[in-house]
Amino acid sequence: MFEYFLLQVLNGLVTGLIYALIAAGLTIIFSVLKIVNFGHGALYMVGGYAGYYAIQLLGVPPILAVLVAMAATFVIGVIFERVMLTPLYTDKVDRKDEYAIIVTFALFMVLENAAIVVFGPFNKRPPSFAEGAVHVGLLTITYDRLVAAGLAALLLIALSLFMQRTSIGQALDAVSQSRDAAAIIGIDAKRMFAIAFGLGAALAGGAGALIAPIFSLSPTMGDLPSVQAFVIVVLGGMGSVPGSIVGGILLGIVEGLGVGFYPDANRALAYSNAFGALLLIITLLVRPTGLFGRQHLRME
Amino acid sequence: MPRRSPVQIWWLVPIVAALALPPLLNSYWLHVISVSWYYAILAASWALLAGYAGQFSFGHMAFAAIGGYASGLLAVDLRVPVPLGILCGFVAAGIVGAAIGWLCLRMRGPYLSLFTLAFALIFQLILIAEYQFTRGSLGLSVPGLFAGRSDTPYYYTGFILLLVSLSAMIFLLRSRVGIFLRALREDEDAAEACGIDTSLYKILVFAITSAVAGLAGGFYGHFVGILTPNLVTIPEMGLVVAMAVVGGVESLSGAVVGAVFVYVLSEVLRDTGQMRFVVLGLLIMLTQRYAQNGLWTLALGRGSRLSWRKPVTRAVEPEAAATAVERETNVG
Repeated sequence: MFEYFLLQVLNGLVTGLIYALIAAGLTIIFSVLKIVNFGHGALYMVGGYAGYYAIQLLGVPPILAVLVAMAATFVIGVIFERVMLTPLYTDKVDRKDEYAIIVTFALFMVLENAAIVVFGPFNKRPPSFAEGAVHVGLLTITYDRLVAAGLAALLLIALSLFMQRTSIGQALDAVSQSRDAAAIIGIDAKRMFAIAFGLGAALAGGAGALIAPIFSLSPTMGDLPSVQAFVIVVLGGMGSVPGSIVGGILLGIVEGLGVGFYPDANRALAYSNAFGALLLIITLLVRPTGLFGRQHLRME
Repeated sequence: MPRRSPVQIWWLVPIVAALALPPLLNSYWLHVISVSWYYAILAASWALLAGYAGQFSFGHMAFAAIGGYASGLLAVDLRVPVPLGILCGFVAAGIVGAAIGWLCLRMRGPYLSLFTLAFALIFQLILIAEYQFTRGSLGLSVPGLFAGRSDTPYYYTGFILLLVSLSAMIFLLRSRVGIFLRALREDEDAAEACGIDTSLYKILVFAITSAVAGLAGGFYGHFVGILTPNLVTIPEMGLVVAMAVVGGVESLSGAVVGAVFVYVLSEVLRDTGQMRFVVLGLLIMLTQRYAQNGLWTLALGRGSRLSWRKPVTRAVEPEAAATAVERETNVG
């Protein structure tokens, strides 16, 4: 029993790191642009497929395919931001929250359904990062999970360093704190918006490519992780990358345990997906505007 | 206001046209237009909730499903007469709607969208998991509202339900309540500061629009004869959002026109499979980007001025803000 518990915790830790990656992307977009990206789950899915096709068609090694996926979703993110989100920075749009909700939701619709058309509705599974598994006592952990968790952790560390140590990272931080003050010291806010959305999309895409060998790819794979990412972002604090890392791992573990130990096995399977959504509802009931309240949320 | 009277007469044209249409349609298009009445009721009530009151709910389809399933289960399990069942579904959806409105009183903007999205997701999973009541993904077969196989009575019933609910909602918006709802959208704090009971109106608008959605769901269930959890999926919600946005999210009649237009378009594109949702998604983006008040408003010649207007000043006096909006938008 204890080993089963441990296995659920370990599996939860792996998915938690992936969630954290998705949530970190959502957080960056939220803190810099002050919008919630409802298309985030679809970008995660696109990243998974980009990695798959990089391996299958271009013969890229699986680990490098993660970088290809990130590059692809970065480009999609920047294009979407340039074409659809620029009106947000002017007075052309009143009620910017609503505008952002609608167009990012439309992004979700377009990407998910385009994926069904282009990639087909059936599941696809890219080759493993590494075949085989580690056995410790009765526990079995596949190398895929270990590699995915390791790469996710590496990406999260790289992200933290990028945000703290590079001039672009600091400029993103400055814009997220005050657009006007950032402009005064010569930071081009528009460039930062594009970078932030692209970076957020790339993190989601990278997560998609990492998870692909573990759970296979499908056009609707992004539906639930996006809800999970919303939970983490709301729970872990807006704009806080470390907060989303801790929140992601916690959620992954809680979910793994919840599904593993739900009394009625039949229902547990059906309700496994409701877990994140329920947590989101409870979090919002307790903290209706997230941790930082309304001022943090409004577009300037 | 006297200048409104010609507009009202003008509205008789599409109503008469819709009433005279069935004999000219083949059975396929008669069915399509009848279903589009269902979507039109949903899109108009969502436009009231999201466009007017500013409560961007993604849970609207769940309320349609509550109405549909409540009425369907009453008819199947308790042999309740169908019209009474639809009425019960209407009331049930209204009550749940009020409860959801109460629960998200403190939530705003995207948080409310997230909350309602999660609610719809869980509701869909309940419909699937509790199969001993709902028959799960197989779907619940429900008796028809009318005997016989003709769609014509459903066409007229749907259209009358649409007219009644639309008139009721427009009547509401032209009353004082409509002004309060717009004040709620423009600035909840300022409205509250002016002594508007924002909590009351938020719960009220959720209750009313959810009840209307439940009515639509009840009609739909007894029309097509089967209810499935697919009623609550994200693509269905996307369809309704597309309808309202394309028609003009701040105009209820625009949403109705948008609903019929989008649904007919999606039927025309049915052979393209999922591609039609790609087209609809792009249509939403383009409409939002270039004609925020919808193509319908644009077609009426009011769009160009509206779409690029400066934001309404966040006035401390919500009546003033609301009248400023009223000057520029059309209540109908």
